[in-house]
Amino acid sequence: MPFFPVRSQLALVVVALLQPAAAPAIDFAHDVVPILRERCADCHTGDKKKGGFSMNSRGDLLAGSENGKMVVAGKSAESKLVELLTTSDADSQMPPSDAKQKRLSAEKVAVVRAWIDEGAKWQDGFAFKKPSYEPPLKPRRPELPAVVDGRAHPIDRILDAYLAQHGKPRPQPLDDAAFARRVHLDLIGLLPEPAALEKFLADPAPDKRTRLVQSLLGRDVDYAEHWLTFWNDLLRNDYSRVGFGPGTGAPVTRWLYNALLTNKPYDQFVRELIAPPTPESAGFSAGLAWRGTVSASQTREVQFAQSMGQAFLGINMKCASCHDSFIDRWKLSEAYGLAAIYATQPVKIARCDKETGAVAKAAWIFPELGDVKADAPQPERLKQLAALMTHEENGRFTRTIVNRLWHRLMGRGIVHPVDAMQTEPWSADLLDFLAVQFRQDGCDLRKALELICTSQAYQSRAVVRQKDDNTGAYVFSGPRGKRMTAEQFIDAVWTLTGTAPERIDAPLLRGFVSPEVVKNTRIEAQWIWQGEEPAENAGEGGAAAAAEAAAKPNLVALDKTPDATPTAARPSRVKIRNAKNKLVLRQKLDLPDAPVSSVGVWGQDVGGVNFLVNGAQYQNDRQLIRSRGVTTLDFKNGLRKGANEILVAIDKPAGKTSPPGFALQIQMTMRDGTTALIGTDATWEWSPDLPTEKAQINGPEAKDAQWFPVAVVPAKPRHEQVRQPMIEALAHASQPQPPARASLMKSDLLQRALGRPNREQIVSMRPEDLTTLEALDLANGDALGNALAAGAKKLATRNWDSPGALTGWIYRAALARPPSPDELTTARQLLGEKPTEPGVQDLLWAVCMLPEFQIIR
Amino acid sequence: MNPLPLDPQNTRRDFLKKLSAASLAALMAKEPRAFANSAVIHPKATADSCILLWMAGGMAAPETFDPKGYETYEVGKPVSKVLSTFPAIDTTADGVKISAGLPNLAKVMDRATLIRSHVLADLGAILHSRHQYHWHTGYVPPQTVAAPHLGAWMARVLGPRNSVIPAFINIGQRLEGVGESEELKSFTTAGFFGAEFGPMNLPFPEEAARAVRPPKGMEGGRFENRYRAYRELIDRNPNRDYLSDYQQESMLRSMENAQRLLGAKERGAFDLTLEPKESFAKYDTSRFGRGCLLARRLVESGARFIEVTTEYVPFLNWDTHNNGHAVLERMHKEIDAPIAQLILDLEARGLLDRTLVIIASEFSRDMLIEGTKGNVLKAGADMPKDDTLREPKHYGLHRHFTGGSSAVMFGGGMKRGFLYGETAPERPLVAIKDPVSITDLHATIFTAMGISPKTVYDIENRPFYATVDGLGKPVRELFA
Repeated sequence: MPFFPVRSQLALVVVALLQPAAAPAIDFAHDVVPILRERCADCHTGDKKKGGFSMNSRGDLLAGSENGKMVVAGKSAESKLVELLTTSDADSQMPPSDAKQKRLSAEKVAVVRAWIDEGAKWQDGFAFKKPSYEPPLKPRRPELPAVVDGRAHPIDRILDAYLAQHGKPRPQPLDDAAFARRVHLDLIGLLPEPAALEKFLADPAPDKRTRLVQSLLGRDVDYAEHWLTFWNDLLRNDYSRVGFGPGTGAPVTRWLYNALLTNKPYDQFVRELIAPPTPESAGFSAGLAWRGTVSASQTREVQFAQSMGQAFLGINMKCASCHDSFIDRWKLSEAYGLAAIYATQPVKIARCDKETGAVAKAAWIFPELGDVKADAPQPERLKQLAALMTHEENGRFTRTIVNRLWHRLMGRGIVHPVDAMQTEPWSADLLDFLAVQFRQDGCDLRKALELICTSQAYQSRAVVRQKDDNTGAYVFSGPRGKRMTAEQFIDAVWTLTGTAPERIDAPLLRGFVSPEVVKNTRIEAQWIWQGEEPAENAGEGGAAAAAEAAAKPNLVALDKTPDATPTAARPSRVKIRNAKNKLVLRQKLDLPDAPVSSVGVWGQDVGGVNFLVNGAQYQNDRQLIRSRGVTTLDFKNGLRKGANEILVAIDKPAGKTSPPGFALQIQMTMRDGTTALIGTDATWEWSPDLPTEKAQINGPEAKDAQWFPVAVVPAKPRHEQVRQPMIEALAHASQPQPPARASLMKSDLLQRALGRPNREQIVSMRPEDLTTLEALDLANGDALGNALAAGAKKLATRNWDSPGALTGWIYRAALARPPSPDELTTARQLLGEKPTEPGVQDLLWAVCMLPEFQIIR
Repeated sequence: MNPLPLDPQNTRRDFLKKLSAASLAALMAKEPRAFANSAVIHPKATADSCILLWMAGGMAAPETFDPKGYETYEVGKPVSKVLSTFPAIDTTADGVKISAGLPNLAKVMDRATLIRSHVLADLGAILHSRHQYHWHTGYVPPQTVAAPHLGAWMARVLGPRNSVIPAFINIGQRLEGVGESEELKSFTTAGFFGAEFGPMNLPFPEEAARAVRPPKGMEGGRFENRYRAYRELIDRNPNRDYLSDYQQESMLRSMENAQRLLGAKERGAFDLTLEPKESFAKYDTSRFGRGCLLARRLVESGARFIEVTTEYVPFLNWDTHNNGHAVLERMHKEIDAPIAQLILDLEARGLLDRTLVIIASEFSRDMLIEGTKGNVLKAGADMPKDDTLREPKHYGLHRHFTGGSSAVMFGGGMKRGFLYGETAPERPLVAIKDPVSITDLHATIFTAMGISPKTVYDIENRPFYATVDGLGKPVRELFA
């Protein structure tokens, strides 16, 4: 508490004030502070800055509000504060008309006036409330405390000292099996396989935990497909998502997947998101556009400011993108400074959706590190921002990411919530250490995870949660259990029941392509295009026809596609645009047998392509994977035994261009393991029109009258350029794919029910608790029920020595431990003497519903 | 089935005392708090339940509740002459006419408050789902935090009326496999309130029973047995430490609630096959009609907020881009009898007084004008090039119009046989008297339900109000 000199003649002063001529000095502590504390402090001191105005300290007071100066020392008549205290305008008056605080009496106003006129004197060092915590920007390497009891891991050195200092015992160590389950789920999102678990448990080597961590992090595909969930949430990336109109950022899926697969250093990762070297990583910065007008705080430029702040720095710019923040130090001008870095047009600053008249100047928010050149072209500015964001001296950047990783692994951030990085960490040493170590390790995300997972702190038992442990001051006492994400839960169920779908939704070729397979892959397809134009159609093409066709689409409806899932009660009709300037290519082929799998790649230097195999259409992102000028398509069971018809409808480019080309190579794997190739060549036919009736597309009776032989186009350099990508894509697509992961599927009812967000907003923490509606879906939803039923069918037909053996398998696979005798008894009652499908299904359900299953401890 | 006694003073506090369907997480959630130091005082409720009948796709007011300027179809007639393609008919409310094709609704208009001056925001290029988002949340998308649906506010502030009937039920709208489905999902949500307050989605009323029935094959005690075994496995878990874990308790509580709902007698309310044949037939005009029946049964059993939609699918139902007149003949048939029957049934059961029924849509329609700004579009598949009717498919209101729309309210403390507001007699048919914005209409609905329009929750340290900035003003004139 600040100490104020005693004053005993207050009454006299007030009397004196009424006689200005004889006004004696105002005493700040006794005359002014009580007034401000009673009438103003609730909204304008401490971390409250209503209207951007704080009077917490003299500096704050004189700094003014978002509307400019509030107090001009020595001049009460020019001080806005006095005007607001005395105005009769109910909208602008202070305290506000709807506030519980009363307005100031004339006497009190006179005190404030006099105080300002005397220079608004302040008690040295006085602040109404302790100034809010301001996090350091620069990185700092803390001195590590001495090693105690041989616990030499730097995290343990810090936390052992921390626990001792807080009088807390060290958390109990975690046993091997629980460790294995936790670290599998945390690092690759999958349950440990029972056999691998047994091997791990039997391993006597003292370093086996470290080796397990390293081997899990070395499983590139599993790691990438687990962490994809975290990054998709943070970068609001998905395979179907809200957003209309031009401007919405394209998904960054393929770029993100490869970045995780190859463990791209995080600084480079972020630089590519901010200043994209290729369009593949541009979608995050580009934000999300809805058709129509949006509020000033949601233009894509301002979204950019918010996204940069939240995702990479844990700064909430949402307040400051409407007005100076009431809760932290960020100002409207700073949010717009970031926005202007992205903008390609001048950005007018708007406060609460009303333009202020000012134009934003591109600026970085931590000038200590440097700034962007406001007059540089946008790509340059983005590069400068990328460099500043990932600057060696930007400790906020590294602290933010290591805090997120700590939260994912340990259940609670060192700063919490993780997007409020202005909050004081519970251990600055720990946060700072992790951050500098991360930088020293080359911003290697996997190394950071390894560092945490190899600590004794991570390898301890999860604390027992208390009802109110999210409120009040937090003191670390051990890791927290984490609720499985929707993706982890579904992957676990798929693993247990062997019911993962064959197909993924994400437009990806998974994993790495084997160089061996590439070497053995051939492209024989030739580039083809329409041959001679039939006389009756001459003159129909060209830009005018294209424009008209686009304006008046003639829609042909197809009733089914191979993609129509049998569970979808009412499949929507697929439509294909039968514009007049189509080039339709066709091949008919007889197959002696249905191929086991067939994939195709094509290169094209023209517009959109619609693909029909035996009348079924392939066109959406689930089926078409586009990269490096090549499109890849998995036909699955589109090709069949006997007659097949492949139709390719190409939107011809409008206007005059040099004759384009189209090359398609299909590789089929037959039942006997041999492969067969079909490629575009002179035997293909073309037509200017797509058959307009469904029957004509589907059946062998399609009108043949309009078909003409194609012309083989001599391959041009641009065609040669995509040759290698075609080979690689075909090789990659023909590789066997691992079982699907939930992170690669579009969100569905079950995933949504289990907390997968819509990803319109950045999400860094998902809900911790299971709700009743979610429980309802788990109790009677079809998706889970069907998976468990299918799994039960498989399990029940296996030869188990006893019901106990089956129960033992389920417990090991699901919980990484054997059942206790009591649990065996209960399971046996459920299963019966000879396990039936329903019995197995119910046991699977019961185990998957256990908190022990769903909460990762 | 006996309807539950309706408790006129049912407050969230009472609900909390009952410790019903909400999970511990929900009970732990912060109470609404006052911003700007002014206390939120909830008004006295005039309704306990709310049914929103949502005319998705843009219900043309001149073709339903605000008929005027009727012109028959004649080849060569200038489009500019046509305001309505249906004549007006008398209703049981004095001086109030509605469109021909709605004879049953005409008979219950003496129970209705009809607002003809509902004004929707002009959000630039018209996109249905964007306006629907605005109407359902009160906020224009995109938002920096996920905005809660109107129903989620009811669930959050009031909770369920009956512990085993979810507080927010959404009937008739698929969220998968339809156009703009991502946009539909983005407002059919509890947003930042969290899933506890989100909708129970029942896209097909006739299949609603399945949603609250034990899964198939679970007859003969198997379902109860499964749960018993589950509880036993928890009790027999060798690791005793976590029995008192709060997260675990919360999870088990939710599981228990779900199990209870799936075994509760009230789930019969979800089962339309239990409705007497004769009564079922009165509603059986369409999926929407059956949705109205489901809504009635659920309100009888103690539902809090129900939305029934004429499903939104781009270019279907109310989204008439050609053949508008013919499509609306069908839409009239689909909604007329079921809505009228719903009102009569609620009244006969003594529930109408405390049940607020609202008919609304994201905007109205016009034959010429797009938006509000006199934006006249020429030509297109649904518009003759020379602005005269050439073919029957031109005959209908095919443009989106936001300047004046109709909303109807029944029961729940609203006046009966009351007309409020007016649109211009000539094109553009903008509201010219007593305009009612979405914000104020929401304030009216919230007030009727006993929720202050200033109710505010903290999210990311920022206030989020039930109506934008807490500024929604209930339209007092509408209250009886």
